[in-house]
Amino acid sequence: MPALLEIRGLSAGLQGRRSITQVVSHVDLDVQRGEILGVVGESGCGKSTLATAIMRLLVPPQVLQSGSMTLRLKDGKSYELLDLPEADLRQLRWRHLSYIPQGSMNSLNPVLRIERQMTDILIQHGLTREEALKRSIAALELVNLEPRLLDSYPHELSGGMRQRVIIAAAVSMRPALIVADELTTALDVVTQRQILQELAGIRDELGATILIITHDMGVVAQIADRVAVMYAGKVAELGTVNGIFESPLHPYSQGLIGSIPREGGQRVEGLPGEAPSPWNYPAGCRFHSRCPHVIDRCRAEAPALLPQGEGRWAACHLYEPEVLSNA
Amino acid sequence: MTAKIEARAGESAAEGRDAGRREVLQYALRRFGVYLFTLWAAITVAFFVFRLVPGDPMNILLGNLTRAEGRQRDKAAEEALIAHYREIFGMDDPLPLQYVNYLRKAVLGGLDLGPSFVEYPAQTKDLVFRRMPWTIGIFTTSVLLAWLVGTVLGALIGWLQRSRLSQLAVVISTLLQITPVYLVALGLIIYVGYTWRILPAGGPYARHLQPEWTWEFISSLLTHAILPMLSNMIVIGAGFTLGMRALMISVLGEDYLTFARAKGLSPFTVLKDYAFRNALIPQVTALAIIVGATLNGTFIIEVLFQLPGLGTLFVQAMGLRDFNTMQAVVLFSIFAVLTLTLIVDLALPLLDPRIRRTA
Ligand SMILES: Nc1ncnc2c1ncn2[C@@H]1O[C@H](COP(=O)(O)OP(=O)(O)OP(=O)(O)O)[C@@H](O)[C@H]1O
Ligand code: SF4
Ligand SMILES: [Mg+2]
Repeated sequence: MPALLEIRGLSAGLQGRRSITQVVSHVDLDVQRGEILGVVGESGCGKSTLATAIMRLLVPPQVLQSGSMTLRLKDGKSYELLDLPEADLRQLRWRHLSYIPQGSMNSLNPVLRIERQMTDILIQHGLTREEALKRSIAALELVNLEPRLLDSYPHELSGGMRQRVIIAAAVSMRPALIVADELTTALDVVTQRQILQELAGIRDELGATILIITHDMGVVAQIADRVAVMYAGKVAELGTVNGIFESPLHPYSQGLIGSIPREGGQRVEGLPGEAPSPWNYPAGCRFHSRCPHVIDRCRAEAPALLPQGEGRWAACHLYEPEVLSNA
Repeated sequence: MTAKIEARAGESAAEGRDAGRREVLQYALRRFGVYLFTLWAAITVAFFVFRLVPGDPMNILLGNLTRAEGRQRDKAAEEALIAHYREIFGMDDPLPLQYVNYLRKAVLGGLDLGPSFVEYPAQTKDLVFRRMPWTIGIFTTSVLLAWLVGTVLGALIGWLQRSRLSQLAVVISTLLQITPVYLVALGLIIYVGYTWRILPAGGPYARHLQPEWTWEFISSLLTHAILPMLSNMIVIGAGFTLGMRALMISVLGEDYLTFARAKGLSPFTVLKDYAFRNALIPQVTALAIIVGATLNGTFIIEVLFQLPGLGTLFVQAMGLRDFNTMQAVVLFSIFAVLTLTLIVDLALPLLDPRIRRTA
């Protein structure tokens, strides 16, 4: 079965006075139907830029540079997202393609009631007010919220409740793909766990596909089926959650997994140094300034994302055939 | 278990709304208390400021009179006259007693602010009431129109912030906003009034007409009102435009706008329900603030266009040192501005649910 969303060579950057600074570089990624795919990486590595580029919601100075994205729906229709005019895109949004932005606890308009904010888009998609209400209530139930919340204003709700309202809104039209950026970052651990469980439940119940973006390997471990590890605007490693957690190939993945707080609280060998910003991505392998296994070739040549068997991909010279055979 | 917790949270939200309603009432009452207090403070300050001006208004007044009539000064008669006047105006009482009497008359005596020094026995209240329709007519209409136009224009300029036309509009508005009102008024008088002779350049209505309910009179009134109102509107409107633009741009950066766009709402809905609606709240507050700051501009305009409003009354009274009249004009202006501000502030909770909580 073809992937629900096929991303090829996607690059996006920031328009400067004279030139564009690339933030996300040549990302290739398939989002499979029905999966929860985690995109994980340190702060500033371009996760949100990637998500907004996928949603075609970049705002200047952010610019899309190149690439293609194909969305293939169940009914056989397929869409080239990057070529789609704004009006057609609006037809896809919410019905097939939902987005939960980073900081989404602030994503509700403080002066409109929840009801209005959940139903306005449903009504625009042609539902009657009653149908829209019914759908909104059903969606609220998916995240264990009472229908009476519809009468509230956002400031009357707690952070966790607002986050749930956003999720409910995003799934109210049963979209094929939900892109959720840092869904639980601002929440306490208990609420975070509950919300992730609800999200997994939604995937099972609605058969939705979820792209979840986070800097927290713990979130990935709890909810995702597969994970794409991002470093400095590129995919460093891609594979199943089990595979990558058991045997991370890329030195960066190894570092990330090493820096999850373990039981007992002590961190195991964190990553040294800081992630580079787009204005000074290193040449060659962008990770070479922090990599414990760096070889000469890393400084000169960027590694390509190559298959490493059973659904695993890694972008590191250590795993290239000729390097492997030399060793 | 989660469901239970959230259900209880839902109930508390409903309770919160009742509490919210109570809080709106409390807010309104508190706001009204502030209004009364401010009014009292303004009356008090105005009273003492005018009393503490050096020089006895009576002496100045009589000096003017006798010099104007070119008569020999008759010391005894003059002093008798001054004494008589001082008695009428209660100026021999100690200051605190004068103040109490003044307040008592103003509040209990139906806004009795005393007689005019110059046009005695005419009441300053009546002088003010006679002039007030002009000022209110010109001022209120032009400020409200300027606010409406500025708000809509500013919203559009902010929404289309990256277009060339918007950027040009910003430059023009900035230039207009920093131009003093009297320069705009003089410019309009000179070019539109005299050079091109498109519209009348001064006076309340054509000289040969009498106030009456005829079309000729009303149209003359309206055409004479255009330039004074335009002077006011250009400057104030430019300010409102820039203010609304800034508000729109800051709202456009809010997370809820990204979310509204992500939902796929039509641009018009996003503009109307998410951007404009939210930027409007501080813009209404701006109206209340600007109202006070632009009244003096209106006074200048009245003088330049020779309109018989409060501004001209004040300038005339100032020339004659008619302190009672000046004071009455100041008080009525303060009263008008405070009342408008009160109305705006009371309207805010209707627009902004958060005020119902936090105020
Ligand atoms: N509109 C913008 N203006 C300036 N810089 C930007 C903008 N958007 C992104 N950047 C820069 O691009 C880089 C990637 O940003 P992005 O938000 O995609 O990172 P992220 O991985 O989502 O980080 P976080 O975990 O903090 O959300 C950062 O260095 C950021 O400073
Ligand atoms: S390519 Fe080189 S620098 Fe980059 S991760 Fe692999 S070993 Fe480290
Ligand atoms: Mg981010």
